[in-house]
Amino acid sequence: MASEKTATLAPRTSKSAKASDDSLRFLPWLFLAPALVIYSVVVVYPMVYSAYLSLFRWDGVSPTKVYVGLENYGILLTQNDVFWIALKNNAIWLVAALLLPTSVGLGLAILLNSKFRGSHIFRSVFYFPSVLSLAVVGLIWTWIYHPDLGLLNQVLSAAGLKAFTHNWLSDPNIALYPVIIAATWNAVGLPMLLYLAGLQTIPEELLEAAKVEGAGPIRRFLYITFPMLRETTLVVLAITAINALKAYDIIYAMTNGGPANRTQLLSTWMYFLTYNYNQVGLGTAIAVVLFSLTLIFAIPYIRFMTRKT
Amino acid sequence: MSQPLSKNAFLPGKSKVALFYVVLILATLFWLTPVITLILTALKDAGDFAVNGAFSFPKSIRWVNFSEAWETGVKNYFWNSVIVTSFKVPIGIVLESMAAFALTHMHFRWADRVFTYILIGLIVPMQMTLVPLTLLMNALNLIDTLTGLTILYIGFGVPFGVLVMRGFFRTVPVAIIEAARIDGCSWFRIFYRIALPLALPAVVSLCILDGVATWNEFILAQIFLRSDELRTLPLGLVQFSTQFSTQYDQLAAAVLISVVPIVLVFLFFQRYFVAGMGGAVK
Repeated sequence: MASEKTATLAPRTSKSAKASDDSLRFLPWLFLAPALVIYSVVVVYPMVYSAYLSLFRWDGVSPTKVYVGLENYGILLTQNDVFWIALKNNAIWLVAALLLPTSVGLGLAILLNSKFRGSHIFRSVFYFPSVLSLAVVGLIWTWIYHPDLGLLNQVLSAAGLKAFTHNWLSDPNIALYPVIIAATWNAVGLPMLLYLAGLQTIPEELLEAAKVEGAGPIRRFLYITFPMLRETTLVVLAITAINALKAYDIIYAMTNGGPANRTQLLSTWMYFLTYNYNQVGLGTAIAVVLFSLTLIFAIPYIRFMTRKT
Repeated sequence: MSQPLSKNAFLPGKSKVALFYVVLILATLFWLTPVITLILTALKDAGDFAVNGAFSFPKSIRWVNFSEAWETGVKNYFWNSVIVTSFKVPIGIVLESMAAFALTHMHFRWADRVFTYILIGLIVPMQMTLVPLTLLMNALNLIDTLTGLTILYIGFGVPFGVLVMRGFFRTVPVAIIEAARIDGCSWFRIFYRIALPLALPAVVSLCILDGVATWNEFILAQIFLRSDELRTLPLGLVQFSTQFSTQYDQLAAAVLISVVPIVLVFLFFQRYFVAGMGGAVK
């Protein structure tokens, strides 16, 4: 009876629709069960429960939670200054992440796409920071920004630009930017890799033909290469945005949210509120805000990933 | 041949190539400055660092930094990371590839919906799960255990693993699976005798990407490990840096020790990084 439906839902099958006996109906669930159970318990159930907890005032310890409706969100929006700092920092971080690693990655991919002697080595070099943990990246860059002994200030002094030396990570007005630079160093690899894969799909003849017609490198890029990388660009932007909103470790390793909470992100401020100040309701409300921001970029991405199946 | 079209045509071919390499090598050195700084710091003593800063050649090479860092605690962190990674990765891959197989080849009518459900996990910020997970792990007495951490890693690994394996299983020809079905082969046999061997490159890719991600994970370790002797490397290093904030030489040596396994894996299995990421976007 189910043979018709099975056939339409799984277009690749032909004869086997007949073989869709009863065993087939639950056997896939058996294959899926271990992964689905652990994933649901560890990821999905906590997500839903967090959203629920954001409606309560609770310190995380006492047996009673007080239902307060959307009050936690109201408190964040009206009384919690650090929430706004964090939100602004997330916005700055997001814009930087959508511009810097993506364009550097694209540039490197175009540069390293042609096969010349050693191109593989150069690709590895530029990809390398991406395999380091963000905690390690943070620690390494902390040395570079060290006020007295760090490379950055040393180079500036040596170049006669002593006026530009800074106590990079302790100056509340600028501390976020050095962290973003360090994060960019780590984030370039993935867009580069995805763009390199995307460039492989552009037919060589097309570019050759344009060249013969007299189109220079810039015009070839603008009118052929970049339009043909549209799909790759969408994936790159979505993944970079989602990753940017997840940023946490590197802040923790470099500034721990300071000085004076000026480098807090929603992710780190959630941790502070929940685990240092026992404001579980506020903490989970921030998590919900962060997740909602992620969805803006994630919904088109998931649509794309589940297309043509 | 169509050189006149190129803007740099006035440069003779050879010097153009040379210029290209010079620029590229300079960019490489610039890009690796942080790593070079790290290595130089790890090799010098603290006094040398305090006087000359990070970016100068060591007065004398001090290998003992590594053994000191190792004995101060990195040894523990290192082995904890090894334990967690070597349980998480194989168990995760078995679960993920079984699930991915069911989603691609078993004519499963819920396949699209289940796959979308699994993909949600790729985008969810860790913060969205922390509080309930803390309650759950507390109830199960798994706080501050490597077992508990490994279970969490397996759960969080499912979306990416299923995504990569699904990408590769989709390239396994349906005809092969169908032929085996007609010969009366059971689905379990098809899975581990046909599909899995055919997807071996994907399994290797996933092992590597997943191994690196597990080795580097920070936030779950930070929340769910409490005692010093259970810390994994990234957590231990950050802690080390706050406790011994002035001992840059040992900290750099410790960081370098934590990076070495990653570098080795990266050098030997580079192409699998590319293949694995490719599988994830397919």
